[in-house]
Amino acid sequence: MRKMNLIPMLKPDSVAIIGASRDPDKVGHVILQNYINAGYSGRLYAVNKKADGDIMGVKTFVSVADIKDKIDLAVIAVPAQFVPKVLEECGKAGVRTAVVVSGGFAEIGNTQLQDEMVSIAEKYAMPTLGPNCLGVMDPRSRIDTLFLPTYKLSRPRVGGVSFVCQSGAVGSTVLDLISGEGFGLSKFISYGNAAHVDEVDILNYLMDDEETKVVIMYIEGIKRGKEFIEIAKKITKKKPVVVLKAGRTAAGTAAAHSHTAALAGSYEAHEALFRQYGFTIAEDLGDLLNYAKILSSETFPKGNRTMIITNGGGTGVLVADAIGSSGILAMAQLGQKQSIYLRKSMPPLVNIRNPLDLAGDADDKRYETALATITSDDNVDMIIVIALFQTPGADSRVAAKLVNFKDRTDKPMIVLSIGAEYTQMHRIMMESAGLPVYDSPSAAVRSLAELLKYANYRNRA
Amino acid sequence: MTPLVDYFEGKRLLDKHGIKSIQSRYVSSAGDAMEFSSGEPIVLKLISDKALHKSKEGLVKLNLKGDEITAAYKQLASKGRGLYPYRIIAQRMAKPGVEIILGARTDAQFGKLILIGLGGIYVNVFKDFALRVCPIQKADAQDMIDQLKSRDVITFNGKNSKMLSNLIMDVNALLMSNRRIEELDLNPVVVREDGYDAVDIRILTK
Repeated sequence: MRKMNLIPMLKPDSVAIIGASRDPDKVGHVILQNYINAGYSGRLYAVNKKADGDIMGVKTFVSVADIKDKIDLAVIAVPAQFVPKVLEECGKAGVRTAVVVSGGFAEIGNTQLQDEMVSIAEKYAMPTLGPNCLGVMDPRSRIDTLFLPTYKLSRPRVGGVSFVCQSGAVGSTVLDLISGEGFGLSKFISYGNAAHVDEVDILNYLMDDEETKVVIMYIEGIKRGKEFIEIAKKITKKKPVVVLKAGRTAAGTAAAHSHTAALAGSYEAHEALFRQYGFTIAEDLGDLLNYAKILSSETFPKGNRTMIITNGGGTGVLVADAIGSSGILAMAQLGQKQSIYLRKSMPPLVNIRNPLDLAGDADDKRYETALATITSDDNVDMIIVIALFQTPGADSRVAAKLVNFKDRTDKPMIVLSIGAEYTQMHRIMMESAGLPVYDSPSAAVRSLAELLKYANYRNRA
Repeated sequence: MTPLVDYFEGKRLLDKHGIKSIQSRYVSSAGDAMEFSSGEPIVLKLISDKALHKSKEGLVKLNLKGDEITAAYKQLASKGRGLYPYRIIAQRMAKPGVEIILGARTDAQFGKLILIGLGGIYVNVFKDFALRVCPIQKADAQDMIDQLKSRDVITFNGKNSKMLSNLIMDVNALLMSNRRIEELDLNPVVVREDGYDAVDIRILTK
């Protein structure tokens, strides 16, 4: 299998922005601006065939060939027809990797221009991402080739989730959403037309990347099926991969010669492959985030017995319903010793069963008693804590207590908190401390179910 | 179009891999069919490249005895004129059970895919099937069965799930040693608590 070295692309010591511009309306201006804003600490150069001196204080050259430095990453944002010439110059100058942001290639039928680009990339063995993509982002190395200004698209915090995305539109919206999540970003790689660097190369890189704990990916198609199978076999044994595949409705052809061909079309084939090799299958954009959140907590269940602790009866029932219809999770039965202890220590209005309804006046002390008992119960594999912050007893002390127990238990534990501002404040507080918080019973339960499926796959393999 | 493999060539292939299929014979007259029956109820089927949905198109006549055999043969022969070339096949009746499908197709990207699902006339109604990329492991075969909504129905509450996962592995082996197979339909395979019979075989090669 070919192995592309993408490290210089994501961890460059030197970057040249080709097509950098003084004109704020130009893509090349925004990219340069973003590099400056992100605080990139490597050596930064601008290239503009008409400019000299500097742009926004960055030393500017007429050609990449004039830069007397070894360039790890060239970000190319020039009109499509100039891309081959610029890429050729990069190759000759010994540039190690390139990102072609420009559109106007195969996506509009201009396959010849794209082929030309690929043959130059191959000639110089220069991993080239794109064209027609947003490029890459790595908050640790502070690189950001996105041509979208930060006031429009918030940048995520540093974390362990890497996001691989074929579509720029999906990429930018999900990235914006990730910035509101506690788990944070390791790498963002938008690969557009996948002309040279494709999903197999990217997964190969992320598999060995220590900073990446979880991969989430949006794909439209796979270019090299057999090679993809090879990487699929390996990567999920090291880290979880959540995948959202577009093109679901294009089912098997109706004019097929066999029932099998009519049932099992291209989407089904992809789904089969993902299932077989332990990928976590997302059905919607929200799933990408929900599943990334739980999988990045890196705590795996030993079984399917799930305990619900709640301060709202109805919400507890909704979660129990979702568990019942999950097809994989089961309701835990508290151990005898634990039941007796809870009966003694809880007020009479608390029924000792699952869901354990601590009642609307439950405060941090009552949560603490419940959690201390349940986290030590061998009959429980996973815990869903419902904390409704609208109730009289729930405040920041409850949130702090939950965070505290997350660190003390080896059982997967998630929180369900539904509500507006006051709740959101506590959600951020808990998520920043690595405790996954969900806002609907079904999202919470589906996420735990996916965690269990992945754990089962890892145990099997 | 990919050529359809002769029914009995297909049957021999199944035999070789230990996949059981119902006793069958081509018949060329009503008398021939009567002789095959020798007093037992039989099935008559018309086989043609042009007919995929045999039962929907009235090309399968079940549970025939005595004079019914002659009448059914004549009906099929007259339908056959529009589906030339065709053959008529006589088969023993399978013991009652649940109908499943076992299948395969070749995907341009990933190669051979193997499928198990609720079969017979329910294939297109419930679309309850599990698919994997070949070659598969034993654990995959069990996962495929577990994935089906109809799992408890086709496994008789788990009683024959070992038999079914072995059957899936046999089909996997057949596919791996016959690379020319483009598509395969064993639909239906009649499954019982203690056994099964493939009652229809459809194989397309490159």
